[in-house]
Amino acid sequence: MTRNVIELEHVSKEFDARGVKVLALDTIDLAVAPEEFVALVGPSGCGKSTVLNLVAGLLPPTSGAVRYDGAPVQGANRRVGYMTQKDTLLPWRTVEDNIGIALELKCRAVPARERRERVQAMMDFVGLTGFARHYPGELSGGMRKRAALARMLIYEPETFLLDEPFGALDAQLKLIMHQELLRMTRARRLTVVFVTHDLAEAITLADRVAVFTARPGKIRAVRQIPFGRERDAVHLRFLPEFGALHEELWDELKDEVGKGTET
Amino acid sequence: MTTAPSRDRSGLLILAGQVLVILLVLAAWYFASGTLVKKFILSDPISVAQTIAAWIRDGSLWQHLVVTLQTLLFGYGIGAVCGIAAGLAFGVFPRVDSVVSPYIVAIYALPKIALLPLFVILLGIGIASKVALVAVVVFFILLFSTRDGVRDVDADLGAVLRLMGAGQMEINRKVLIPATLPWVYTGLRVATGYALTTTVVGEALSSNRGLGFLIESSSVRFDSAGVFAAIVVVVALSFLITGVLGRFEAASSRWRS
Repeated sequence: MTRNVIELEHVSKEFDARGVKVLALDTIDLAVAPEEFVALVGPSGCGKSTVLNLVAGLLPPTSGAVRYDGAPVQGANRRVGYMTQKDTLLPWRTVEDNIGIALELKCRAVPARERRERVQAMMDFVGLTGFARHYPGELSGGMRKRAALARMLIYEPETFLLDEPFGALDAQLKLIMHQELLRMTRARRLTVVFVTHDLAEAITLADRVAVFTARPGKIRAVRQIPFGRERDAVHLRFLPEFGALHEELWDELKDEVGKGTET
Repeated sequence: MTTAPSRDRSGLLILAGQVLVILLVLAAWYFASGTLVKKFILSDPISVAQTIAAWIRDGSLWQHLVVTLQTLLFGYGIGAVCGIAAGLAFGVFPRVDSVVSPYIVAIYALPKIALLPLFVILLGIGIASKVALVAVVVFFILLFSTRDGVRDVDADLGAVLRLMGAGQMEINRKVLIPATLPWVYTGLRVATGYALTTTVVGEALSSNRGLGFLIESSSVRFDSAGVFAAIVVVVALSFLITGVLGRFEAASSRWRS
């Protein structure tokens, strides 16, 4: 029996919004096994992103325990790569300097020449060839997302926390990125927690899908997705099992969507 | 290709307009002096030019200009360095800020020129008292703009780097300082105007050298042309400083376009 990489035990998180207490997460229990891909689906404002912030150590839980690799998460969790929903590219750095920033840090100190090569390869990979010298302010929303993804992929963290990473991409590019993400999770034996509001995307990618309720966020249902890691992101959606799972999870999700639209 | 010549032409038109405006003002001034207003009170442009030429010939303009530039340079430099350092400290350590800021705000509210007599007693009538005054004025402007800049930095930018394994020094160098820089530039630009004003006023009030002294001493001699001549030199100086600073700022924040 293997130890879980991520464990949330009776975790609640309360925010103080100008004197009003808002309960974002209500006694959540969630465990993610090594090399598992878990998708969190739910209406907006249901606390899915808060789960990622807790695992990354950027927020402490109000009550309950958050553990990573058996140890409580205290302060920034440097073993995860986190792609936030918000744009966090540095606006004064060019695209190439943004993507390569993790390799500049003292803890890696990759030589400039190798850094340039890896940045170039990563830019080709996410489809940003030719935009090396552009500033983030000169890119479209989808291109900024790809740059942020590249910035995280380049330093190869063991666990990915992804908050709607492909939300702003067009359908074709999204499919390609899905295939690449699946390939990468296999090749690098990654553990992934993936937040999305797109149920089909969750089923396409994940080993397990957790459906959240509207605020205060609780886990309403968890389903195992039986397609394995060697799946084909493009053709999966035409399988009858895919349709059945989508139907089943949508039944859980649809009651919550109407409730949780206020943010 | 087709827009370039037309842009050149509109640029030329604007320049021609600008020259026309200054010529009209000078002409109006020339004809008003001695007709509408006594020459004794309002000198004419030609006398002003002659006065400046005379100052250049006898070397007195250069003497006064050097004193004013020295005051400006030292006062501005000392004030800016101390102000940026204090602003960074206040921004990074909010506790320090909350303890000290009531006093800072109280001193800031004081019209700084009121400190000049104090500085003259402490440091004498020479350049040092004016340097101190300019430094105080510049210090507060840079303190507040730098502190607000540090506070405005998006905490998420630092958090992303921390997750990548960056230490605090690396976050300071790669996020905090570049993100604060535009605020510092704004402070520096605003401070140049105040520094020049303070220098000239300080020299006019209590000094025996400098462009401000030149204005004041011409005035007490009822030398209208001398007053205008000194003012023209101050305007030219201010124009030059603003231009140089603008170039520098534009070059260093290209990403904001």
